[in-house]
Amino acid sequence: MIDLTALASAVHLLTTSWQPWMVVIPGILIGLTVHAVPGLTTSMALAICLPLIPYMDFLQALIFMTAMYAGALFGVAIPAILLNVPGSAAAVGTTFDGFPMAQAGRHNEALGLALAASCAGQAVAYLLLLCFAEPIAAFAIKLGPPEMLVVALWGMTLIARLRGRHLARGLLAGVFGLLLGTVGLSVRGAARGTFGFDLLLDGIPLVPAIVGLFAAAELFNLVGHDYIVDDLTRRRVDAGRILAGMRDAFRYPGTLLRGALLGSCIGILPGGHAIANLLSYSEAQRAAKDPEKFGTGDPRGIIAAESANASSEGGSMATLLALGIPTGGATAVMLVAFGMHNITGGPAFMRDHTDLVYAVILSSLAQVAILAVIGFGFIFVAGFVVKVRLRFLVPIVLALAVIGSFALAQNMAGPITLAVFAVIGWLMQRFDYPVAAVVVGLLLGRLTEGALLRTYQMSGGDFGFIATRPIALGMLVLFAVSVALPYLRPARAHVAASRQGRIV
Amino acid sequence: MAARIFKFTIGSRTIVFDLPHLAFATAIAAWCIWFCQDAWRAQRDVENLILILPASLLAAILYVCVAAGCIRIVSAPEHDAASPRHPLRPGMATKIAGTMALLAAYVIAAPLIGFDVVSFVYILAMLLFLGERRILVLLLVPTLFCAIAIYCFDTILATPLPLLFFAGDAS
Repeated sequence: MIDLTALASAVHLLTTSWQPWMVVIPGILIGLTVHAVPGLTTSMALAICLPLIPYMDFLQALIFMTAMYAGALFGVAIPAILLNVPGSAAAVGTTFDGFPMAQAGRHNEALGLALAASCAGQAVAYLLLLCFAEPIAAFAIKLGPPEMLVVALWGMTLIARLRGRHLARGLLAGVFGLLLGTVGLSVRGAARGTFGFDLLLDGIPLVPAIVGLFAAAELFNLVGHDYIVDDLTRRRVDAGRILAGMRDAFRYPGTLLRGALLGSCIGILPGGHAIANLLSYSEAQRAAKDPEKFGTGDPRGIIAAESANASSEGGSMATLLALGIPTGGATAVMLVAFGMHNITGGPAFMRDHTDLVYAVILSSLAQVAILAVIGFGFIFVAGFVVKVRLRFLVPIVLALAVIGSFALAQNMAGPITLAVFAVIGWLMQRFDYPVAAVVVGLLLGRLTEGALLRTYQMSGGDFGFIATRPIALGMLVLFAVSVALPYLRPARAHVAASRQGRIV
Repeated sequence: MAARIFKFTIGSRTIVFDLPHLAFATAIAAWCIWFCQDAWRAQRDVENLILILPASLLAAILYVCVAAGCIRIVSAPEHDAASPRHPLRPGMATKIAGTMALLAAYVIAAPLIGFDVVSFVYILAMLLFLGERRILVLLLVPTLFCAIAIYCFDTILATPLPLLFFAGDAS
């Protein structure tokens, strides 16, 4: 699987010059800091740095961008944990247990867990990419709308899991999100649900909506408090406890590995990085013996979400390098950087520049170690957020979110979306609806509609079509097993108990 | 916002209506139905309605289930302990409503007037609203925030923001 000659050449490329390494630390730092502002995205940071790319050689440029990407993948977890602000869709799952841990004064451990899970997830993904880059690419090219539809359906089962205490409210919230996700132009150009505003033709701006639903709504609830953590003794930023959190991540190797593998696989799909963390969280909750602990500050929730989020980078890089297809905004900007050096990603690139591909993968593995060190220092500083009085924090975060939303959308749609969804989010919290279900629906609305429509067009409405798609069929079986298992377990336990009773 | 529960007593039974929740669920369902109708009006074909139509029907069914949960028949002694939500702490409703109103004003005014001035006024107003009374802090925090935020977005990130006094720096 590994071309040893190319691997040796890659090592040579990385060890004969210090220049490629010069950009790693700045890249990671930019990636980490950009997500401190709610509304700013990795693709925006990458795009801002594009003018620097022509001044770097191709390998250095690739390393710089992967370093930013790596930093950003962990960076989103920091506001998600400390402020319940998921800087992007990729960090939504991290908020579920991260913020409750922070509120309980366990912010040090939560940040440590996220850092270790993120580093481990990235390492697993890049090791997989190193060993199986070509098979992964060959697999990715076989994935079409039916497979995407199964993934989307799988993601939607999460809505049912996030139902909270009331199933009907959870499902209604999920369906509401799904419909919100389809606002805008249809595939045939019909404007739906835009109230006549041209600004909504592209759909509801996703990041401002998520920031509004989660962050602003939560900040409204905090206005009456002095600090995020009420107890003075729990507000300390403690390096020892951050390290303990990092160690704790490896106490759940199954959760970590499952998240990393799931993230790597989902990451190869377009838009996959956004739902990888949610699917991984859902699977971790399903597999747990005590699923009721999830959402109350369970370390496994953070590990599952962060390892999948981080490893989705490896999957999306596989699709980018081997097929030349971007799976999200960040990899699309990377593809532009390829063009600046007159290089086109795809099978020919993999064949002709295998040494470069290996060099990027090896440098990314090294970046994981560097991220662990820099990330530790960064969270040590970021942890001081819990010491800031909320009367300062609330207006500053809200104002940053509004400015970030405007910067992202470049029009009033961003800030207005944020404000409207902040109120909706607060009301949903008040009436005990799971806000996360709306977010899942929002994320999956367009994806599901597109995949459903293309599957319908390919099949001509014939259900037997699925039998001609072995990968989709396999995924469907896995999906069915994953849905049925929680119901089968108690039934099996009941049968075993009754048998035991008969024997006794 | 206190939990507003409306009740009607018939004999020994009391019918309890959770009207705020019913209103919220109705608003969600109404939007879903309106959205379906809007999509139907825009284009009546499979491409447009393949997801929206079944999802809207599902929303309507779920709404009926939720609405049914908003109306409960309880015996009189049960009713006193039957509040569906924790009441907000005293003064919280005003603080939350004020924060929402200030956010709405900021969102509308900033792109029209300029983020530099409106951000300063917003932070100042929020600090005052949340109880800060030290003059130095009231001046320093909004000034520092505006200087740093506007410099980062407008100059470093080259993101054109509508500004009143510093317009033209980025672009």
